[in-house]
Amino acid sequence: MSRAAGKFSYAVLCAAGLVLAATGIGTFALGKAPMTHWVLMAHVAVAPLFALGLAAVALTWSDLCRHGADSPLIGPAKALLWVILLAGLVVTLSGVLPMTPLFGTPGQHLLYLTHRYSAIVLTAAVLLHLPMLGRRK
Amino acid sequence: MTQSQPQFYRSASGRGTGRLAFWLFRHARLPLLAALAFWLCLGRSHARAEDIHTESRPPFLHNIPLHDAKGRLISPPALLGEDGKPQESKANPYSPALTCGKCHDYDAISQGWHFNADAGSVKPGRPGEPWILTDPATHTQIPLSYRGWAGTFKPSDVGLSDFEFVTNFARHFPGGGPGEPGKIKSADPQMGRMLITGTMEIDCLICHQTAGRFDHEARFNALKAQNFRWAPSIAAGLGVFASFKSAGSIADSWHPDRPVPSTLPALRYDRARFDTENNVLFQVSRRPPVNNCYYCHTSESELGDARWHSDLDVHIKAGLLCVDCHRNGLDHAIVRGYEGETHDRAITDTTLDLRMRLIRRDDSAINEEDARKLARQQLQSESGMIETLTCRGCHTAGRLGSPRPVHKGLPPIHLEKLSCTACHSGPLPASQPQVVHTSLTHKLGLPAPERGKNTAPVILEPVFLRGADGKIAPYKMVWPSYWARLNGTNLTPMLPAEAAKTLTLPQPSSDDAARDPYNTKPLTDREIQQALESFPAEPSKGQPVFIAAGKIYLIEKGAMSAREFPAAQPYAWALAHDVRPASQALGARGCAECHASDSPMYFATVAARGPVEAKNGLNKEMWELRGDDKAVASFFAFTFHFRPLLKCLVFAAAFVVLGVLMHYGLRGLGAITAQGSSTGKERP
Repeated sequence: MSRAAGKFSYAVLCAAGLVLAATGIGTFALGKAPMTHWVLMAHVAVAPLFALGLAAVALTWSDLCRHGADSPLIGPAKALLWVILLAGLVVTLSGVLPMTPLFGTPGQHLLYLTHRYSAIVLTAAVLLHLPMLGRRK
Repeated sequence: MTQSQPQFYRSASGRGTGRLAFWLFRHARLPLLAALAFWLCLGRSHARAEDIHTESRPPFLHNIPLHDAKGRLISPPALLGEDGKPQESKANPYSPALTCGKCHDYDAISQGWHFNADAGSVKPGRPGEPWILTDPATHTQIPLSYRGWAGTFKPSDVGLSDFEFVTNFARHFPGGGPGEPGKIKSADPQMGRMLITGTMEIDCLICHQTAGRFDHEARFNALKAQNFRWAPSIAAGLGVFASFKSAGSIADSWHPDRPVPSTLPALRYDRARFDTENNVLFQVSRRPPVNNCYYCHTSESELGDARWHSDLDVHIKAGLLCVDCHRNGLDHAIVRGYEGETHDRAITDTTLDLRMRLIRRDDSAINEEDARKLARQQLQSESGMIETLTCRGCHTAGRLGSPRPVHKGLPPIHLEKLSCTACHSGPLPASQPQVVHTSLTHKLGLPAPERGKNTAPVILEPVFLRGADGKIAPYKMVWPSYWARLNGTNLTPMLPAEAAKTLTLPQPSSDDAARDPYNTKPLTDREIQQALESFPAEPSKGQPVFIAAGKIYLIEKGAMSAREFPAAQPYAWALAHDVRPASQALGARGCAECHASDSPMYFATVAARGPVEAKNGLNKEMWELRGDDKAVASFFAFTFHFRPLLKCLVFAAAFVVLGVLMHYGLRGLGAITAQGSSTGKERP
């Protein structure tokens, strides 16, 4: 994968993540959870973009960040990417699984909380990761 | 003179101990003193009747003596008199208050939800079904309630006296409350009639009889003739009214200045109902059967012959009784079953006194103040239990074997935004709400020409509105319709009799009347205008207007105009039955049942119904009635077209990420394992 593709997918991930964090975490932080109306629709509309961005980042960045890879990224940046991918996976699945008839109310509630807190972890990881990208070995 | 006579088994407000003591002192000083001396000498050999209870689960065999309104034992004369001639089995009618009340505290019972609407001190609670004063001839339908629910009129607000209220609704009114005033003012031309007709005591058997012999039609006919005092006996099949002249007729010819006739008609008893000791067997149960509740609380949207399509309530089908959830204690403060009801229930003095009595019986050392405190604590604690008798409470607690709700695939936000009834109760919503008939409004349970879809008043269900708790729930809805005078912003409805005095409305031909006994033909604009013009101009009283189908009709500058008007707005009350099982809940067949561009929950058209042409009524969609945003609802529904694509994309992306994580995770694990192996080989 080219570096341009990597940068683009990361940019998509960040842009979509920004909207999702603003709508999701923002609503929660303002004490107005759960989301409703336009905020919810914006959140749901951007979610697929985020998922695709996450998948693209996984494909384009993973080889750079594997252990022992010859990469310009510093160690913590590599480690944080795996955190981002893992948290992103949890966020994605916990967002889409409630739309399936697999979970009842307790499961739905657990997924909802998982979604909320894994999103906070993901946001924190991205915020930490971004400044590290400028630092090279 | 008042109607009240010594009532030995009553003790509280309205007919309290003070009045009893006064009466005794005034009329029976010497016998009283003698009795008191006798009682003091012998000690109290019998406990008070109210204190005797069986306290067992099986019902007590109610083979009991009857007492009349004066507390006298009813003992029909023997078949043959001393002279050997046949005797009629005439005697006074039985009094439920003094017969049932002998063991069951009638005053406590009369505080119950079914009887306390006019008490004034009772919290109104969630708006419920009103009484609707309906008159097809004048196209009047006025929602009434003593409870002051917004959108209803108190009877006195429309000039309806308690007596008129009772005579209008006695058919389904269980007695007590306005039917049983604490004191009858003989000078009152209407209430004074009760000195002859008797009061309308609570008829315990309406709810509690189980023999299936309670004759509602006979009761209705008795009450229609204002034979109030006789109605409970007649309905119970104990006997028949022993006079050609009804109590109402006697009251008509009586003047308040004259003494009350001393020889009022008797009841001709059925001797077969009495055993050799003059006891009568009542088959009763503390837990009324479902059909007893249905007499007043039938709500049927499968009209006419279509009733066989109705599945009935899933709880009833499962074998529960209404009273399994809608419970009550002796105070008959029946649980209505909505969430938050605890806050609407008050602990009455009577309930408190009852509990204090029990506490002090069990602990003779406790003083009155502490007992009162403890009683209040106990009652407050018990009122918390009421929440476990709501849908949510019962199904969460698993009471009565209720299944715990699973709600697979239903995001929890739905449980915050919707009441349980939104998905589970009433008929499934369609593009237009259905017409529903109810007992209280359409006189169900009494024989009458078949009621149709246009029989006034037209009530629609389900209409999804937002309740006081902010949750969307299904409601029944009715639009008031009446002639009135508008003075400034004050609207004074006219009662049908008053309106009929001057109203010129087209009279249906005899053929039409036979075909359409409920006069369902709508009024045209021209007919309304002519009717409005027929009212005499009385500027002091205000301008004549007609309220119907959400609008006010009035003459302005010589022409009739119609517009929306606050007082013309519909009255709605939450519906909770019939409950459908989970498999038939709204949404069980997918999100699109509610989240589609044509889903009834948002986009069903609710057409205001009333005695006017359909084109004149207001049409509103559900979202509009709720004050929702149509753009949000429509766009949100639109997004559901893309929901499958969204799921596919997100799942696909998640699988890619999972694959990458597993790939590099396993590679990393392999590297660590390999490193460990090579390290092991190097060891000596």
